[in-house]
Amino acid sequence: MNDRIIAQLINVSKYYGSGEGRVTALNHVNLSFFRGDIVVLVGLSGSGKSTLLHLLGCIDKQDEGNVIIDGIDTSSMSLEQLANLRLNKIGFVFQSFNLIPVLTAYENVELPLLFKGMDKKSIRQRVDEVLDEVGLLERKHHYPREMSGGQQQRVAIARALVSKPALILADEPTANLDSKTGAGILDLLMSLNKKEHITIVVSSHDSVVLDRIKSVVHISDGKIMVDEIALHNHIA
Amino acid sequence: MNSIKLASIALRNLFRNSRRTLITILVSSAGFAALAIVAGYMDFTFYGLKEMTICRGFTSSGGTGHIQIVKREALQKEERYPLEYGIADNEKIQALIASNKSIKATIPRIEFNGLISNGEKSISFLGMGIDPEKESELMHYWNALDKMSSKTKMDDSSYKKLELTGQNGVLLGEGMAKSLNAETGSSLMLMGTTVDGAVNVVDVTVAGVVKSTMKSIDRYYLVTNIPTAQSLMQTDRVSKIVVVLDKTDNTESITPLVSAAINGSGKPALFTAIPWDQLAEYYHSIRDAYRIIFSFTGIIVVVIVFLSCTNTMLMSTMERVREIGTLKAIGIANPWISLMFLFEGFFIGLMSLIGGMALKIIFSFIINNSGFRMPPPPGMSSTYLLKIYPATEFLPWIALLVMFSTTFSGLLTLLKIRKISIVNSLTHV
Repeated sequence: MNDRIIAQLINVSKYYGSGEGRVTALNHVNLSFFRGDIVVLVGLSGSGKSTLLHLLGCIDKQDEGNVIIDGIDTSSMSLEQLANLRLNKIGFVFQSFNLIPVLTAYENVELPLLFKGMDKKSIRQRVDEVLDEVGLLERKHHYPREMSGGQQQRVAIARALVSKPALILADEPTANLDSKTGAGILDLLMSLNKKEHITIVVSSHDSVVLDRIKSVVHISDGKIMVDEIALHNHIA
Repeated sequence: MNSIKLASIALRNLFRNSRRTLITILVSSAGFAALAIVAGYMDFTFYGLKEMTICRGFTSSGGTGHIQIVKREALQKEERYPLEYGIADNEKIQALIASNKSIKATIPRIEFNGLISNGEKSISFLGMGIDPEKESELMHYWNALDKMSSKTKMDDSSYKKLELTGQNGVLLGEGMAKSLNAETGSSLMLMGTTVDGAVNVVDVTVAGVVKSTMKSIDRYYLVTNIPTAQSLMQTDRVSKIVVVLDKTDNTESITPLVSAAINGSGKPALFTAIPWDQLAEYYHSIRDAYRIIFSFTGIIVVVIVFLSCTNTMLMSTMERVREIGTLKAIGIANPWISLMFLFEGFFIGLMSLIGGMALKIIFSFIINNSGFRMPPPPGMSSTYLLKIYPATEFLPWIALLVMFSTTFSGLLTLLKIRKISIVNSLTHV
């Protein structure tokens, strides 16, 4: 396997429902994501981009094919093994931020590290570092309800980033934000990609995102229509 | 460290819906308080019943005392004539154990039966021959008990009347006096069998009318002094010697010492020392019945507490589906998430214990100072003052039950959490 590939979908299919009502969300998809890339998944609503993101994030199981993350085939992994894989290799950024409301920004960010068995000092150092990186160090003791949408999404990015994952998956990260704040979030994701060389996969239909991210995967009816990553990598 | 963090999150989560948490804590606190009060009442009942058995008894034979000394043969064989296996030198036996500091009194008794007549009507009786002065020791023991209130003190005036009446005085049960149309000062005749099998008659004077603990006994119950009973039976023996200790808790340790002292060493044992609980059939049957009632009450209360907490936990789980999904998505395993709910149940339990203890203390204080009297239990003749004892030996168990039911309800969420799909939960509103 190519060492540059961080995530790979091999002949992956996903169906919802059964019998005559069965819907094909992904239809024999073959796709590879390269280390350090930032890729946007594009498609109409119901095209399968979220399903693809869920399979990549190992929070859903494919019905056919294999999903390989950093060289590990996830097909036969148990729930606990998958949880461990997500904890160590994958970071999530959600459309609705999904912060824990009873925890401060600092506590939300430190959460994944607590379950990685790191010592208190290293955790404090790393959390401060990523909060600084997203520009929220001064607001670390604030609760989500005390922050704007853009700030909450920055905390969510810091939480995704804190455990130094190989892959960050961002599902419509700018959808709940105004265009200016959305642009700021996109800037942050792109700068992190550049600085930390983390692979970032974004699903979006925001034109600003499409204009700025060069690697694009078009999905329609569960099929990859244009794989511009391959094209992009080929050119590169 | 992650356990501490989860505990901290759990504690904060409890105050997200503070009204619901408060109601759950109130239900659990009420459960704890109810069980503790029932236990306190049960403790009071057991204690009262135990000491009542020792001091007054629930049969025509009077209080059991702490230990009873009888001839060994009296337990092994059936008597062919009255007092065949009675104790001949009862004063000598009493002297043998008098030096023990825990022994407060030794009381000789004669149990006998026969007919009592007013000249027109004769009815059978179960009699007890006593030494009124010594018998009063049992009442003094009762009155000196720390836990007994002044309102439940025993009155030995009837024994004093018997003593003042001199030889041939009798105390009659209320029912018997009514049946014979007798009152204090009335002359009656006692008819009984002597130790030789002959019939004997003694004239007696009614010294007073008494009420025994059991209504049914009052109709055939009489008490006289030992010389009267001995003169009726033509003997110098007594049926038993009742030993009164300084406290009931010493019974187990003193019984073997009494047995050794009265039998001497290296000789075949002639006497048996029987501790009170082997003579307290009524006490044991009541205690068993109360324990069953308490167990059922306990089960019902624990089920209510458990259901209330489970409802809270499941509601809480349903409200936090998206959060649970997020925690799962970032890689926190199901058991850790369940541990958070387990902590919530644990904290509810802990707060319930504090609330429950406060409720228990308040209600116990109100009940103990209300002067409320309980109606006589079945078969008994007098009411009694309701008291709730601290029941400290039961409290850890009740606390454990409440803690277990609240914490276990948190554990049940594990099943729910396992079923929550991450994908669906992330978009859950």
